[in-house]
Amino acid sequence: MSFFTLMIKNPFRNRTRATLAIIGIAIGIATIVALGMVTGGLQSSTQSTLKAGSAEITVTKIGSGNFGSSGGAMDESLVTDLKNTNGVKDTAGILRVNSNVSTSSGGSGFGSMSGFLVNGIDSSKLALVGIDSVNGTIFTNGSSNEIIIGKTIAQNLNKTVGSTIDIYGTEFEVTGIFESGNFIYDIGAFTSLSTLQNLTNNTGKVSYIQVKVNDNANASQVSKTIQDERPNDLSATTAVDQANRINQSLGMIDTASWAISLLAIVIGGVGVINTMIMSVFERTREIGVLKAVGWKDRRILGMILGESIILTLVAAVVGIILGIVAVEIIFKFFTTSQSFEAVLTMDTLLKAFAVALLVGIVGGLYPAYRASRLAPTEALRYE
Amino acid sequence: MTEENVIEIHNLQKTYDKGKIKALNGIDLEIKKGEFISIMGPSGSGKSTLLNMIGALDRAEEGTIKVAGIDLMKTRDLSEFRSQEIGFVFQMHNLIPNLSVLENVEIPMYETRIKSEEMRRRALELLEAVGLKDKADKNPTKLSGGERQRVAIARALVNHPSIILADEPTGALDSKTGDVILNLLKSLHSKKQVTMVMVTHEPYVAKMADRILHVLDGKINNSS
Ligand SMILES: Nc1ncnc2c1ncn2[C@@H]1O[C@H](COP(=O)(O)OP(=O)(O)OP(=O)(O)O)[C@@H](O)[C@H]1O
Ligand SMILES: [Mg+2]
Repeated sequence: MSFFTLMIKNPFRNRTRATLAIIGIAIGIATIVALGMVTGGLQSSTQSTLKAGSAEITVTKIGSGNFGSSGGAMDESLVTDLKNTNGVKDTAGILRVNSNVSTSSGGSGFGSMSGFLVNGIDSSKLALVGIDSVNGTIFTNGSSNEIIIGKTIAQNLNKTVGSTIDIYGTEFEVTGIFESGNFIYDIGAFTSLSTLQNLTNNTGKVSYIQVKVNDNANASQVSKTIQDERPNDLSATTAVDQANRINQSLGMIDTASWAISLLAIVIGGVGVINTMIMSVFERTREIGVLKAVGWKDRRILGMILGESIILTLVAAVVGIILGIVAVEIIFKFFTTSQSFEAVLTMDTLLKAFAVALLVGIVGGLYPAYRASRLAPTEALRYE
Repeated sequence: MTEENVIEIHNLQKTYDKGKIKALNGIDLEIKKGEFISIMGPSGSGKSTLLNMIGALDRAEEGTIKVAGIDLMKTRDLSEFRSQEIGFVFQMHNLIPNLSVLENVEIPMYETRIKSEEMRRRALELLEAVGLKDKADKNPTKLSGGERQRVAIARALVNHPSIILADEPTGALDSKTGDVILNLLKSLHSKKQVTMVMVTHEPYVAKMADRILHVLDGKINNSS
């Protein structure tokens, strides 16, 4: 039997104690993995690359939600007004409604991921929302039943070109599938603005306006101008601002994840110290024998430390599985989200193992040191 | 140190509890290579302490002690000495309960450079010598007291030590089983030509040895 085999066998002598220690650490690791998967998922879904033709500024009415509201909050006339602002190249008014919600006003943006978002837009302005090509054909303005849908929602709802979708009691036919590069659009659909306005009693209204600036203009500058012109009415955000805001939220989750990791290290570490001290205590005589047969202090230290690390690495594997299963279950039963999937990154896995290893070393060092310093005669006399 | 003396002890003193208990109070002792010595004496007279000093499990405060050519008062790390020169047999077998009989016998070889297969081969060879080859894969908890002590003897011999130190090896056994163990130790002593020092309370057991030492109040009592 190799020394390594011996180290693997020892921690599981007292099954109950080993199991309890493993569960304790595994919960910490599972939390780290679950948070990591959510952050990973958000990161990959929010990495929207701004396409060349798309708008840099989103203009919303103040008080209507900050991520592009839904319902008809603004007058469509603003679309032309804003186009005349200095530095603006083009504008597009978009009416956004949630297909599951039958009321035409209010509603929220980013937070509600249930249902799916239907956007009305002038078909000639699709480039402004990042749709420069579709798989199929785009809808025609004023057409009563043509719609194009994002690739994410197409996948999730199992729709292809030619499928039909019921929106506000009207059957729409999917004429094309697009990929905008913006996850919010990719989980929604686009149809003719006037059609959607009529369908939802929002005639002459839009939810927000997308603004594309001139090639030589500065987006933040233009954004500021728009806001300054109608200070109590409109709010303008650039794509860069939005990205920063998302990154900030992700950063917060990341900080929370680190804090939990730290907590896991401390709590897990204390648990491991306790487990290993008890194990050393119970095996005092045995350690005396190991010294009597010539084991060096270093080997005894290595054995106990190794046992501790093996315990935490097993806990890491259990915790990773636990975390993945938990996230899968939560996503399956508690969100109707079609917007993103949790992503297990290599980073998260490495972090889980690193934390486990650290807990193993931190928790094992002191008991291992104590064991290695036991006086052989005392240890052998121990009852 | 003469050629044939494997153990040379002079004026060895060991105290416990900050000098309050004089466990060894000036031991003078020479043991020749290959000798079979038994140590007798009342409880608390210092027999185990003396054995622990010879096996380098503890250090004395005063005197000199040389075992197998090594000055135990001056050598810093004594684990290698224990590994190569000493085989302990305790009153309690002290086997590791979650390891098989074979694995228990392999334990002393971890500090040597012996490869896994060779470890196995050697352990089996010794289990055969103590008549337990067929129990190699059993758990020690499934063995009788006498069988466990035989495993402990195999473990003590596996690194080919020059000295076997046995502290009341039959103390926990009934007399019949104890006799089996004693006969085994005696035959191994003559076969392997090791030096053997055994503590015992039984005069008839002590008589099996080449020489009997009497310890009293931490001293060798030569008058008996
Ligand atoms: N670790 C220790 N701490 C304190 N006192 C000790 C220790 N070990 C031994 N002693 C004391 O030293 C003396 C000698 O003990 P030792 O164990 O050598 O006796 P022994 O002859 O082996 O007795 P027994 O026949 O009962 O085994 C005793 O008085 C004992 O109480
Ligand atoms: Mg004793």
